Amino acid sequence: MIPIPKKGTPEREALIKEHKECVDSMKGVAGFSVLKCETPGDTTVVTGGVHEDPVLKRVLLRMRGESTKGKLIVICTKVDAEWRIGRLSGIRGVPPEFVNDKVYTDEQEIQHDIFLMRLDELPETAGMPEHFNEGWKRRDDNWPVT
Amino acid sequence: MCAMRLTGYADKFGVHPGDKIKFYVNCDGPAEYAAEVVQMINGDTNPRGPGFIERPIAADVNKTYAGRKQIIHGGSYGFVPDAKVFQVESFTLQCWIWPTTPKTHPRYWKHGAQGLVTKWSKDKGYGLFINEDGFVELRINEHKITTGAPIRDHAWHFVAATFDAANGDVTLYHEPQVVYALDPVIEPVKATVAAKIEHSPIPVAIAAYVDTLSDDPLAQSSLPAGVVFAGKYNGKIDSPRICKKALSRFEIEQMKGGAQPGLTERRNSGPTGALSEVIVAAWDFWDGINTIVAKDNGPYRFDARLVNCPTRALTGYNWAGQNFDWKHAPKEYGAIHFHDDDVDDARWSADIEWTVPTEIKSRFYALKLTTTEGDEDYIPFWIVPKIGEEQSKIAVMVPTISYMAYANEHVACNAGGAELFIYRVPIMQHQNMFLAEHREYGGSIYDTHTDGSGICLSSRLRPILSIRPKYDHFLAQAPWQYPADLHLIYWLETMGYEYDVITDEDVTYDGISRLENYNVIITGSHPEHNSGTQLDALHNYTQRGGRLMYMGADAWYWVHSFHPAYDGLGRGVVTEMRRCESGIRTWRADPGEYYHQGTGELGGMWRYRGRYLHSVAGVGMSSEGFDISSYFSRTSESLDARVSWAFEGIDYDEKLGNFGLVGGGAAGLELDIVDTMLGSPPHTLAVATSAGRHTEAYLLVMEDFGFNQQGLDGTTHPRVRGDIAYHETPNGGAAFSFSSIAFCGSLPWNECKNNISTLVGNVLNRFMADGPLPPPPADAIKHRGRADYESPALASRA
Repeated sequence: MIPIPKKGTPEREALIKEHKECVDSMKGVAGFSVLKCETPGDTTVVTGGVHEDPVLKRVLLRMRGESTKGKLIVICTKVDAEWRIGRLSGIRGVPPEFVNDKVYTDEQEIQHDIFLMRLDELPETAGMPEHFNEGWKRRDDNWPVT
Repeated sequence: MCAMRLTGYADKFGVHPGDKIKFYVNCDGPAEYAAEVVQMINGDTNPRGPGFIERPIAADVNKTYAGRKQIIHGGSYGFVPDAKVFQVESFTLQCWIWPTTPKTHPRYWKHGAQGLVTKWSKDKGYGLFINEDGFVELRINEHKITTGAPIRDHAWHFVAATFDAANGDVTLYHEPQVVYALDPVIEPVKATVAAKIEHSPIPVAIAAYVDTLSDDPLAQSSLPAGVVFAGKYNGKIDSPRICKKALSRFEIEQMKGGAQPGLTERRNSGPTGALSEVIVAAWDFWDGINTIVAKDNGPYRFDARLVNCPTRALTGYNWAGQNFDWKHAPKEYGAIHFHDDDVDDARWSADIEWTVPTEIKSRFYALKLTTTEGDEDYIPFWIVPKIGEEQSKIAVMVPTISYMAYANEHVACNAGGAELFIYRVPIMQHQNMFLAEHREYGGSIYDTHTDGSGICLSSRLRPILSIRPKYDHFLAQAPWQYPADLHLIYWLETMGYEYDVITDEDVTYDGISRLENYNVIITGSHPEHNSGTQLDALHNYTQRGGRLMYMGADAWYWVHSFHPAYDGLGRGVVTEMRRCESGIRTWRADPGEYYHQGTGELGGMWRYRGRYLHSVAGVGMSSEGFDISSYFSRTSESLDARVSWAFEGIDYDEKLGNFGLVGGGAAGLELDIVDTMLGSPPHTLAVATSAGRHTEAYLLVMEDFGFNQQGLDGTTHPRVRGDIAYHETPNGGAAFSFSSIAFCGSLPWNECKNNISTLVGNVLNRFMADGPLPPPPADAIKHRGRADYESPALASRA
């Protein structure tokens, strides 16, 4: 398992830069991936991102596999116009709550802000033995669970 | 929060001209709302497409209505109306339980005690419960006796309680079936309750208790109307019994087998003469598994009505692992799994009834609901011609079973791991936010219940907020299913085609008579879930010279059946599907639980019923990925005279569909390929492919490999691709498969002026013509193998 790159390191800054460039290139696509469109908004040729940066790929996978409790999610507040960041409760019947007041007018941009928030929230050693808890014994990792 | 104050559903998906359709509306807050029938043209609000388009339809129901709140009393249970025999002085209650949420989080949507077998309400009566702490609890009036021992979840336990009115003696038993080395012993709890049971005129409840009897209008959508239940239990119950005497532990053991009527020499219901005289009810859940009645085989025949369709055909406490089909060992399938979010019918009162005019086009319609305060909802329905009164040569087969399978899907909210397959952070729309809170609206067959067990049943008699226009699905970050199929409708409308619409239900119930009067059948973008009779009809249709245009991917995949217990409410009310040994499964059925409760047929993938998906239209699903789409390139087979007509106006080197409103390209989401080893006819032509163009988010389906290994994604695996394919069927028929769920999203691009539109137009124009298709060149008629095209044995006969 790879460590989550520490704050202030060149490695982390490189991930952030690459992620941002991918997000910007995906504006206008009816879908999203952390890859770079050669022509912005057009998926005919895509390069970079998770296809070419193994650290970025693995950091994103680690983030994506986190459990629902407290997990960041996008909430569309006006169809095709406005989006906000929310947090899942992890409890059935308790809906997500907004984390702040920031309103996004682009559905892709919000992906980058969530990436930054998760970089700050995930410890360098996430998923390693020092974080062992009983949940590991009952599949609470959430990877396969719906 | 953006809660939805307007929601609704109709009593039918498909309605004939001249017939009536009823609409049920919840208007929670606003004093009134406006209703208007509209024709649906495009449901996608993406600014790069044509935008949302609806067409008003003159209808006598178009007016303003008084709003009223209507609610769903979700959660399954059984009930028996009150009877004097239930008003016991002494009793024994007993059953087996396999609880899934014996203890819940304080913020869980239905946190609190759960009823097992109860005739108790408001501190009157008697009943066996699991209390808020997760202990077995006996209630007699206001008295509560518990074991103080937490019940292990997902494990069988035998529980029983006795009360002797003569001396007030109470004994409470909790006997786990599995006892681990370090488990404390749970002794029977003895107590004395100096009380006379106070009886009230309430039903006996299984897996719930009566909260209140009420004249409130909101209580009328409960069943029985006006009786509101609480304490909905999550988990299995097996063999509940009520006796009117405090039995000894030995007698309780004898009662485990229940009443056993029918033995030749005996003159009572059993299990012994003495016990037969004290049985109040002895329900055998193994009896009548394909019904919504829990059979009481005791002397009083107090059959319980099961409400909200709990799951049956599940392994009981005594399942031995020798029989895997409940039909062959029903007595090992005496468990019913109740869920606090089951729903079979919202049971709302109808607000609007529309008699559809006899002269109206068969199309996609919806009842549009709005308020002056900005609330909005749409209730989609389809006007389907009567058989013999077809209006067009073209029919669009609306994949309504697939819509039901995805109905009110919660995956983005329930499953943190959803991001791993969509490769980004999911977006929840206001429908998802509403459903996240309103679990009583039920989930989809992709979800797990609130207790974590898989959902295998879905009803259409409830608001289904995923079958809505202006709804982007988290899987695609674009339209999916219903609104994605409207991309096709927009194209048909723009290109000026006349078309009918028919639903999966119509084909399931009517067979080929639904299809045979059309020259061409066009599918939706993702007809994944199908009944067997529907597949039969499609095969019979293409065999007789019918033409099939398969507009998407991942079709003909899962076995579905409609639960026969709901036939009286209309066609296709509740559909069932089990996620068995393989296939893309968001949950997995447990061992021994692969057979449908409604029809008894083996569930799972049609592939594992020996019905390969590739046999229907020549292609079958091979991979899926949900980040972005790509495009197709023509292959040399597209130059074959058998099919080159389809590419008129398209250069050989053109990128086919490197644009679109779903993922940005025509090849995306889920992809089908030609595979003659899995049922593609050997003469199938793969005329275009997206090989080599997909991202690492695209992964080979798990049924195509038996060993985990690297290299299964779109950047490396040769089977991660879509193949556009064509093959002829006998008598001048044919199938053209476009093999990608995203495909239809390219049709509207640039006002339908694009090469995907050209290709589909060429195919449709040829397929819709009267009479058989032109015959293929004579040299196309030759022997072909499946695996080995060069087989010398076959070549010598060519």
